[in-house]
Amino acid sequence: MKQRVVITGLGLCTPVGGGAEEFWRNLLAGRSGVGPVTLFDASSLPVRIGGEVKGFSLARVAEKFPEADGEQDRKIWLGLEAASQAVEEAGLSREMLAGAPLFVGVSLETFFLENVAPVAQADDAVRALVQQVLARPHAGRLQTPLDRTSQLLGDHYGFARGRYTNCSACAAGAQVIGEAFRRLRGGAAEVALAGATDSVLNPLGLGGFSLLHILSTENEEPTRACRPFDATRQGTVLSEGAAFVVLETLDHAQRRGARAYAEVVGYGSSLDAFRVTDPEPNGRGAALSMTRALADAGLRPEEIDSVNAHGTGTPKNDVAETLAIKQALGARAGEIPVTANKSMTGHMIAASGAVEAVASALTLATGKIPPTINWGQPDPQCDLDYVAEGCRDFAGRTVLSNSFGFGGQNATLIFRRIEP
Amino acid sequence: MRESIVITGVGVVTPLGKDPREVLRRVEAGESAAAPSGFGAGMFACPVCARVKDFDAREYVAEAKMVRLMNRDAQLAVAAARLALRDAGLQVGQDYASEDIGLFGATGLVGLPLGEVLPLIKASVGADGGFDPRSFGEAGLRAVSPILSFKILSNMPVCFVSICENIQGPNAIYTPWEGQGAQAIEAGLHALEGGDARCALVGGCDVKTHELAFIGLEQQGIFESWRASPSPPSGERAGVRGHSDHSCERRAGVVPGEGAGFLVLEKEADAAARGARIYARVAGFNLGTRRKEQGRAGAFAEVLKGMGDWPIPLRDLRASAVQSQADETAEARRSQRTRLVAAIVAASNGDPVAERDEERALFSLGIAADTVIHPKKHAGDLFAAAAALQVGLAAVLAERCGGRVLANCFGHGSEQAAFLLEKP
Repeated sequence: MKQRVVITGLGLCTPVGGGAEEFWRNLLAGRSGVGPVTLFDASSLPVRIGGEVKGFSLARVAEKFPEADGEQDRKIWLGLEAASQAVEEAGLSREMLAGAPLFVGVSLETFFLENVAPVAQADDAVRALVQQVLARPHAGRLQTPLDRTSQLLGDHYGFARGRYTNCSACAAGAQVIGEAFRRLRGGAAEVALAGATDSVLNPLGLGGFSLLHILSTENEEPTRACRPFDATRQGTVLSEGAAFVVLETLDHAQRRGARAYAEVVGYGSSLDAFRVTDPEPNGRGAALSMTRALADAGLRPEEIDSVNAHGTGTPKNDVAETLAIKQALGARAGEIPVTANKSMTGHMIAASGAVEAVASALTLATGKIPPTINWGQPDPQCDLDYVAEGCRDFAGRTVLSNSFGFGGQNATLIFRRIEP
Repeated sequence: MRESIVITGVGVVTPLGKDPREVLRRVEAGESAAAPSGFGAGMFACPVCARVKDFDAREYVAEAKMVRLMNRDAQLAVAAARLALRDAGLQVGQDYASEDIGLFGATGLVGLPLGEVLPLIKASVGADGGFDPRSFGEAGLRAVSPILSFKILSNMPVCFVSICENIQGPNAIYTPWEGQGAQAIEAGLHALEGGDARCALVGGCDVKTHELAFIGLEQQGIFESWRASPSPPSGERAGVRGHSDHSCERRAGVVPGEGAGFLVLEKEADAAARGARIYARVAGFNLGTRRKEQGRAGAFAEVLKGMGDWPIPLRDLRASAVQSQADETAEARRSQRTRLVAAIVAASNGDPVAERDEERALFSLGIAADTVIHPKKHAGDLFAAAAALQVGLAAVLAERCGGRVLANCFGHGSEQAAFLLEKP
């Protein structure tokens, strides 16, 4: 028998706020989290803006996770903070955590160029680098394995039913929630922690992506730089963040009297199989992902009441996604609100799907849809209702959330309101 | 398992060859692919690695431009995937629709050769000799290719597989160790069981044969057993030392390798309907997490015990001292506790402590076999690709032996797995 699965804990670290309350307040108010990059000197890069998590206290997180002392990778710390919020809010016991699988989404390894630059000019740079690494194994590290967040969370909370590190790029955040949902629905566990964390706001991350010409270079107007579905959109804005959710079977949540934000009812994934550099222009792969999620949920297209779009603000993505939504939802596509959180958060790569899943759950829990900011000039190829006028009341029952990754990976989640 | 799922294609690109039967023959013959790494002489505790020889990605990728976008791990992945589909005699789009084929893979730590990164780093050094972000923007970025981002994204190898083979179905990518490679296989099994896909291509790729990889392995402490070895050997003999002899002091340690492996999974009824050759049915599998406080032997035993569906019902674990394998097997047989399988594809990779833990776990459950092979000791440890190679060779063995074959995927990191295959 299929179990119903609900979200009972939320944790967030985002450019628009830390914690679910601040995040949601700012998202509904249409406040952008994008600004000049301050985490390092980006003044010589073509792109100098990004969505940084503000006021983030490493020391505070280190008090909770002393075993993470010395970790240099910022996404690890963001992930630990978001995950701990979710676990604490859900009020899970040690025994419940031991019986839960852990799913963590990530994307790029961070290269600590500052660690290796001092020895790079040596005659034999490789030898110098190795000697440094062996002499100072922690401080001299060039990169951190991508499963480090899973290891730290797993050991800290005692997750013993599988620790999964998913690296499906921008689809990772949605995929981990989808995978966790499937496990719980199938009865493999009663509780799971799933989420994603990322920070590409470092020299190699921001510099590397800027070479691909998918980022907005509007450095003088950072809060307006990301304009999903607007005719004048120029590109996306990189940012950082993390979001985790506690998923539980409805039975388990009810037994222990846990508060449920929303029900997860469907998950689908697909591959564009097109190019690593571009989305499939007709939205074929993205539509397949949505169609699969609908089938998984046992819903008809007309039963979807809102879409939380991938909406990156790149010229190609937004057209392909608009086409995909029309293919998957048919005539209903033009009638339902389609919102793009990245207009405010920027693109948190792996974490985006998880953050937008939280936003979708909060939409159902609060009856509010956040706006797509910076939309002002209609694009004839993007002709849906993008919630441009501001936050909107929402009485619908379902939200579909899209996440599409570099390389052509697509993932879609569907959430449903918890009926009293 | 509710649905009977079979392996109908095995594709491998390994330091011991690209034909799984040939790889198996060479493993059984005791050949080793280990050779001096050729870099960092005297610096790394491990002096050898196992490389894939005579490999040209252009044999598998039609577009030369696409080959240039790929790291070596992606090139190996694309080749192994092509070989698996070819081995299964499967035509994407004909036997199954593209969107009905799932793709689940594992990738390792980013496989950038240091040679590609050093120019960037050197150009980013400031006047004080340290990293200077301004220099990075002004000169460092110009020293690298614009496609660098595609090379450092961990999902790219598997995405290239999807593009080259036009696979459009459900998918997920895991990282970075052998356990995550096993998770990819598990995801494929779940996708078939749940009706999400009708066929799945599952596997992994990894390249640990360059300086950056060695640095990463040093940082992870994976070369410790080389350091502990009384007289670290070098050269081609390194990979065959210590074969199944836990009292031997000549063993050296893990031999990092490179390669890729992919398997074609199908429902048995579908495979039979299209007349596919079936290597093996997946009779059981289990994935487990080694807890922080848990010993390795206990974690391995827990995985094996949880697999279920054994030839002889499992009894309780019992603690045991490690004796010789032959004595233990005889003792276990006498007490009728033996769970005989036709063959075991052991996880031992040259680390003597890990090998002893695996033997202890097998003994504690009375699991024994007439044939035990140790692919990692001969082909090198392929890390994220190791699970696919282990299970792939087990499938070939199952077809040959006609009995049940156990494939252990006990690698680095917390995640451990085992698969039990049988010839239908």
